[in-house]
Amino acid sequence: MENKYLQHFLYPSSLFVSREPYVIKTILGSCVGICLWDKRLKYGGLNHYMLPNWNGNDLASPKYGNIAIDKLLERMLYLGSNIKDLQAKVFGGGELLEASTGNSTLIGERNIRVARLMLEERKIPIVASSTGGKRGRKILFFTDTGEVRHKFLEKRVY
Amino acid sequence: MSNLSDRQLLRELRLRLEERKKLDDELTELSRDFQGVTKKLKESEALKSHFISNISNEIVNPFTSILGLSKAILSVEKNDWKKVVSMVALIHSEAFNLDFQLRNIFVAAKIEAGEIAPNITKVNIRSLVQTVIDSFNIISRKMGIDIETQFNIEHGFGKNFYFKTDSEKLKLVLSNLINNALKYSYKDSKVIVKLWVDDDVLNASVQDFGTGISEKNQKIIFERFKRLDSGINSINRGHGLGLSITKALLDVLEGNIEIQSQKGEGSTFTVNLPEAKNIIEGFSGEGNDIFFDEGDEIF
Repeated sequence: MENKYLQHFLYPSSLFVSREPYVIKTILGSCVGICLWDKRLKYGGLNHYMLPNWNGNDLASPKYGNIAIDKLLERMLYLGSNIKDLQAKVFGGGELLEASTGNSTLIGERNIRVARLMLEERKIPIVASSTGGKRGRKILFFTDTGEVRHKFLEKRVY
Repeated sequence: MSNLSDRQLLRELRLRLEERKKLDDELTELSRDFQGVTKKLKESEALKSHFISNISNEIVNPFTSILGLSKAILSVEKNDWKKVVSMVALIHSEAFNLDFQLRNIFVAAKIEAGEIAPNITKVNIRSLVQTVIDSFNIISRKMGIDIETQFNIEHGFGKNFYFKTDSEKLKLVLSNLINNALKYSYKDSKVIVKLWVDDDVLNASVQDFGTGISEKNQKIIFERFKRLDSGINSINRGHGLGLSITKALLDVLEGNIEIQSQKGEGSTFTVNLPEAKNIIEGFSGEGNDIFFDEGDEIF
């Protein structure tokens, strides 16, 4: 029944959007993945960023939240979406590195914060989310229905 | 309105003040973040326009020389045929450079678009390294630089050593390191390419005996578009993308890069690359695992 789907495994620092029905899979630790879905055109895309803000030095890649969110949005607008038809689901942002080191960097939390701030600013509603915690996540995003299947991982991932 | 005792009132006020202060702090922090980002964006804008003028030189100049040289070849007299050889060599080196720069630019564009993913195969490391070094043959010979290979990997299949990684990315990483080493070397010296393995990690180092990089500059050479104006060879080529691409590619392959250098004595760049796993944790590499177990949450 799920054979109609093409599959794409999404690596960190990349993003994927398609008008075809895809199932996009990814694994999130402290990284955050945002599923953007167009309810009018029934398609979507996913990003997977590792750090909240671009440091201005590396290549301006979707490794960084502020860039990953804008690039994903840009790609969907290019494919014909209206921003008012978009809705978001946000996953990841766990704190997997031991916080016992005292001065924890809270990457996960900062990643989530960028997502919330930027989506709010662009008036894209977050219709579902599973963020934070101490475990990694494995998610499958069905780009035609917007459905996301989500599972916690026992093993540590980053 | 209910009457509050002085104590209650004081406590309430203090609570509100504290809350206010917390919000203030958060606001200050956010605005500092924001200012930081703005500043970086401005800097990067300036760098980018610099980069564009740089890059158009990188592309236009080689083209101009290729056009000029080929035109000159067309009008060479028959008895002057020997001139042609040197002109063809020049055309080749210009075209080689152009090809190299364009490759880097396209990869950078791909990385920035988030379209880069590891493409893992079993790679014959010895032949890959040889191919990369061979591609620099003509350039290095022209500069009188000897590229020495030290292949310190004993085990493997016969003379070959196979390693699971992304061959195209590894090629580009090595090419960039060797290109840099040549660019910052003095004439008639050498570049040493060393390979060895620790457990599951492939190490490669590229050493030159050129200008070297001061400690201060070692920090900024990985930043995009940044170049140090210390190339010895009169035309200081390059657009400053090479090392930031190298770093980003190694990121994808979960490897890293270190630099050891002293001004005036040359530099050594060392890459550590862990062997890629067939299985990404939680997912089989190619497997058909979209059928989830019971108990998945659905959002």
